[in-house]
Amino acid sequence: MKMANTAQTIVRRNRPGTKSQDWCNWQDESFEEMDSTLAVQQFIQQAIRKDVSKVEEILTPPDGQDEGVWKYEHLRQFCMELNGLAVKLQASGECNPETCTQMTATEQWIFLCAAHKTPKECPAIDYTRHTLDGAACLLNSNKYFPSRVSIKESSVAKLGSVCRRVYRIFSHAYFHHRTLFDEYENETHLCRRFTLFVTKYNLMPRDNLIVPILGDQQAVEGESEA
Amino acid sequence: MIEDSTGSQLSGQLGPGSGGLGMVTKQQQDDVGQRPQYSMPGILHFLQTEWARFEMERSQWEVERAELQARIAFLQGERKGQENLKQDLVRRIKMLEFALKQERAKYHKLKYGTDLNPEDLKPPVFDRKDDDQVDGEPALSSSINSNAQWKQGRQLLRQYLQEIGYTDTIIDVRSARVRSLLGLQPVSGESDADGPQALVNGEQQPGKRDIQGKRVALKKLQGTGPVDSELIDTESAVMNTFDFLAGENVVDDDDENLSDENEDGMAADDESDERLERKGVKIKVVGNESMAGEELLDDPETEEALAEFDFLVTESEKKDASSNAEWSVDQRHISELKEQYKKERKGKKNRPTRSALQAMLANLGSEDDLPGFESEPPSSPPNPSEADEVDAGMQSGGGLGFSPARKPMHGSQDEDDFDGSLGLGELAGLTVTNEADPSNYDISAPKEVFRKTWNAKYTLRSHFDGVRALAFHPVDPVLLTASEDNTLKLWNLQKTVPAKKAASLDVEPVYTFRAHVGPVLSLAVSASGEQCFSGGSDATIRCWNIPSSNIDPYDSFDRGVLADTLEAHTDAVWGLSIHSTKTQLLSCSSDGTVRLWSPGTKSPLLNTFTAENETGVPTSVDFVRCDPSQLVASYTTSNTYIFDMETGKEILMLETRNNSDNSGSNQINRVINHPTMPVTITAHEDRHIRFFDNNTGKMIHSMVAHLDSVTSLAVDPNGLYLLSGSHDCSIRLWNLDSKTCVQEITSHRKKFDESIHDVAFHPQKPYIASAGADALAKVFV
Repeated sequence: MKMANTAQTIVRRNRPGTKSQDWCNWQDESFEEMDSTLAVQQFIQQAIRKDVSKVEEILTPPDGQDEGVWKYEHLRQFCMELNGLAVKLQASGECNPETCTQMTATEQWIFLCAAHKTPKECPAIDYTRHTLDGAACLLNSNKYFPSRVSIKESSVAKLGSVCRRVYRIFSHAYFHHRTLFDEYENETHLCRRFTLFVTKYNLMPRDNLIVPILGDQQAVEGESEA
Repeated sequence: MIEDSTGSQLSGQLGPGSGGLGMVTKQQQDDVGQRPQYSMPGILHFLQTEWARFEMERSQWEVERAELQARIAFLQGERKGQENLKQDLVRRIKMLEFALKQERAKYHKLKYGTDLNPEDLKPPVFDRKDDDQVDGEPALSSSINSNAQWKQGRQLLRQYLQEIGYTDTIIDVRSARVRSLLGLQPVSGESDADGPQALVNGEQQPGKRDIQGKRVALKKLQGTGPVDSELIDTESAVMNTFDFLAGENVVDDDDENLSDENEDGMAADDESDERLERKGVKIKVVGNESMAGEELLDDPETEEALAEFDFLVTESEKKDASSNAEWSVDQRHISELKEQYKKERKGKKNRPTRSALQAMLANLGSEDDLPGFESEPPSSPPNPSEADEVDAGMQSGGGLGFSPARKPMHGSQDEDDFDGSLGLGELAGLTVTNEADPSNYDISAPKEVFRKTWNAKYTLRSHFDGVRALAFHPVDPVLLTASEDNTLKLWNLQKTVPAKKAASLDVEPVYTFRAHVGPVLSLAVSASGEQCFSGGSDATIRCWNIPSSNIDPYDSFDRGVLADTLEAHTDAVWGLSIHSTKTQLLSCSSDGTVRLWSPGTKSPLLNTFTAENETGVPTSVDFVRCDPSQLVASYTTSNTYIFDMETGKEILMLETRNNSDNSGSNQINRVINHPTMPVTITAHEDRHIRFFDNNTGKMIHSMVAHLDSVTSLAVDPNGLYLLSGSHDCSIRLWNLDSKTCVQEITSHRKKFDESIHDVAFHPQKPYIASAGADALAKVFV
């Protein structure tokens, strides 16, 4: 193969035998050079790997990027990474049907699980799993998202509800499993990135964002954004 | 001599009625001339008695003749049947021989290297079968021959039948045949329809399925038990034969039962013999069977006919008594009555039944003989009916049973249906279908499989990132996928969501396995299908209890799904392989080790293997399927070792490295072992697939298989086909015999420079699957 034989050409592969630390350890590829249909995902993941804490950079689309696809690919990435939080909650045993019988964040709301025919009061851990599974189905639905290159406006509207639901996972973790949440947030900055994402693209009403993750930052961001 | 006498009679008689008298007068005169001492009435009386005696004898001869001819026809049919049986057995022997040869050739090939016997005719033979099967022709030339002979035989038989005046009864024969066919045929049709579907997964399935189909077709009564479950490779052909034989036995039993039920004790033996034999040669033996069938079926009617004739006899006797002079008319009257009776029967049954046919037969006979009878002296009235009686008696006495049990099966409605077709065709017309029958019984080789093109049927969307590994459930149409999104998903291919583009179906996962903290890289499903194992870049191996494939995807969390976590590796677990019978698991990791596990035990880690002087890390591992005490592991350095699992030492280094033209980057991405042969197959980064002999370590074959690095390999359960996946976005199916590409399918899109991570064959069902970096998995049928 031409690429393999040319020494200069970088073949970006995680071949079998790749050590965990070398996972995706290759030189960045500029967005222009990415000729794949999955370029946006590649670009986002590349940015995350580069520095996961630089959420603004991660959320900065390349020039001329279609916003629908951008939002869509980011949301995919969020859902995927939220699996990590779900695993943490699940594995710790801290969040189980006995301790968290309902999906709550503050005492104000009980969230009903929308994965069922009639919304149900699932225990928090089930709510988390069902919501992520449901999001995976929706975001991979051939009906709403048949292509990852262009997305219908009507389907983009679906992203908001996905955001609202998955955000509850953050809020539950934050209010009920703070240590796990902090641990996870330190590794991934995911909640911060998510909050910024939904704010930036106006996918959720601001008063729904009950996790004070941006804190002082939010003010700073808010000012700079404004 | 009967003919002669009839002839002389006919020629001697000029006209009905008066001829007889004139003759008598002549004779009388002669007698008077020679022996004047006799009185006229005495002579007349003598002549009359003589004549009566002669007539009686004549009809007895007639009966005898008919009897003998029937016997001849019967024996002829029996002979044909035996011949066919013999041919069939010869054919089967040939097939067994062939299978043996094939096995030997294979063995030879494996043992002594690439040399293939030139006589290894396997592909052409299969192809031929293929063609034959597709055309609906008998598969082997011998059977074609036998069919030709059959036609001949049938023709002969038909001739015989005609001679004894059975032509009309052939209609009956055929209707019986149709009925018996209809009893079987629809089912066998189904089995045929099943065939192609089942054929796709290589050799074993089709065979098995076909056999099952046949059994069904033959009203399969008993399962043939364990034999079907483990047909492998060419063995399957052999096994098929055995199974087939078994199936036949079943049928025979069945038939004996039937005959026991349905036949008079007297008839049972003959009958069952015949039927046995008929089944032996399978439905091909039409004439035989139909005769048997007809005689079986219609005997009750024969009885009725007999009764009817009795009545006729008595009636004619009455008439006889009333007027001797009218004797010659009596015959006509009798035949009229018979005609009438026949019509009645026809009216009743819409079909000339046995009795009607008998009547017709008798009519025909008596009509032929009528002139003769007309001149009969009055003293012989009972004769014709006697003849009939005897004839009928012969029918039932000749071993042709009585089957009231069968009668309800053939309602007149059915008979109507049959009549339509029966009226039209020749005897041969029906048998065409029968000739096609033997093909059902041919040892089925993979027919469709050679022409099978796989088409994408299911698209499995739900992962958020590249799918690294996939594995089928050992039995069910269920698939597991492992992805870089840290999850595994369980898919039930029977739970589909109709997609917009009708060509393919979308499947939603029924379960998502979460536990890995990092991409899941490898996957193996236990032979029972109850557990699966996944290796991740988090260095763990997770043991999962696979939930039911019909679980509600949004069921509540069951902590028991994650059964165990095997921790010993210190880096990403890139390869897993499960033992086909034992619950033993091999893993290889980028920490440089290969480990053997016994999941579910207290100390699951059984052994650790590291190759001495090996600088690379293992990339892939597999059990040596032919030798359960060995494992094979390939490395990033493009080395491949066979380890002894007992000692933990490498015992052989395959010459994988020598063949690499680009040793720097030519790592092996996947190593697998052939399921039945001591052959190791490696997938290389340099686009090659290579084959090695496990005993010598020498390379058997090397081929550029793809346009980009080969990532994954899978061999179908029968060891006939190889499936490979590559980062060139395509999967390719290879014929392992000829090492040629059978089909290429572009399957996935690229993410970075990766495209396809894994491929798999379903162990039993005609499914193949590919896992892509584009987060999709696809299943082809």
